[in-house]
Amino acid sequence: MILNTILMDGYGIYVWSSFTLTFLICLFLFLKTKKTLEKLERDFVKEIHSLSNKQIEDLKKQKIAKEILVSHSRT
Amino acid sequence: MIKLLNPSNIFHFAGKILNFIKIFIMPIIIIGIIFSLFLSPKDYIQGDAARIMYVHVPSAWIALLSFATISFLCILNFIFKIKSLSLIYKSIAPIGLTFNLIAIFTGAFWGKPTWGTWWVWDARLTSMLILMFFYVIFIFSYKFIKNTEKSSRICTSISVLGLINLIIIKYSVNWWSTLHQTSSVNLIGETTVHFSMLIPLGIMCIVFLLYSAMIFLMKYKIETIRVKKRSLKKL
Repeated sequence: MILNTILMDGYGIYVWSSFTLTFLICLFLFLKTKKTLEKLERDFVKEIHSLSNKQIEDLKKQKIAKEILVSHSRT
Repeated sequence: MIKLLNPSNIFHFAGKILNFIKIFIMPIIIIGIIFSLFLSPKDYIQGDAARIMYVHVPSAWIALLSFATISFLCILNFIFKIKSLSLIYKSIAPIGLTFNLIAIFTGAFWGKPTWGTWWVWDARLTSMLILMFFYVIFIFSYKFIKNTEKSSRICTSISVLGLINLIIIKYSVNWWSTLHQTSSVNLIGETTVHFSMLIPLGIMCIVFLLYSAMIFLMKYKIETIRVKKRSLKKL
């Protein structure tokens, strides 16, 4: 029964390869995107810390900058 | 409508929607895989090889849908000069390319047991390969051309040319004699796939769409932060 499910009448190699390849490509894109996003958020926060207090206050008024700071503080 | 496309609005909701998708995607993936690999019946001619359809077809659809969306956004951007649209199409392009690649590879895995060959230069396969080149050129254009005005013009030209290719992909199986079968699932015409196979196909489509939405939102955040980082330097 289990062997039949794996072998799929000889088509198993093609079916399992297709599903595995799809899963691996999707996982690679997800991990790469996640890593880039986290790195950019870290760099952004670092750059903000190098600004003066006045510039930081101005920046915090911007919706996106505020969101990045909040989401970075959660990670 | 344009207010909705405002980067700060999208950015605000991106995080919330991302969290929502992350909760639901894993159970749906598991259900989709169980249906596709174990519960759906064998095809009466192709046997178990037809199960490849559950990853091949949604991938191809998303690759086509992504390019159609990119073309639409590029044309809108070209006419109305809405800069935020470029953030959206830049976030969609890598997803389309990924699914195009998956469609080509899984197509090869399906072709070998059913046609006896991994690849054949037939109209459908060749036009899908051309679509992949369009994606690559499109991505290279916005990555390596620094002048935004020029890059936007080139991207629009590529996307319009690619749109012609999309029509060729759609009708290639009707216009030419191809090894690739004609459409089995039609929104307007008759669908020849049995209901028991349509359910897993539908679930896998939802899985791929959710995954695409998740990557899109992450990519959109990346593109927005890049813009913000550039504006930091001007402070």
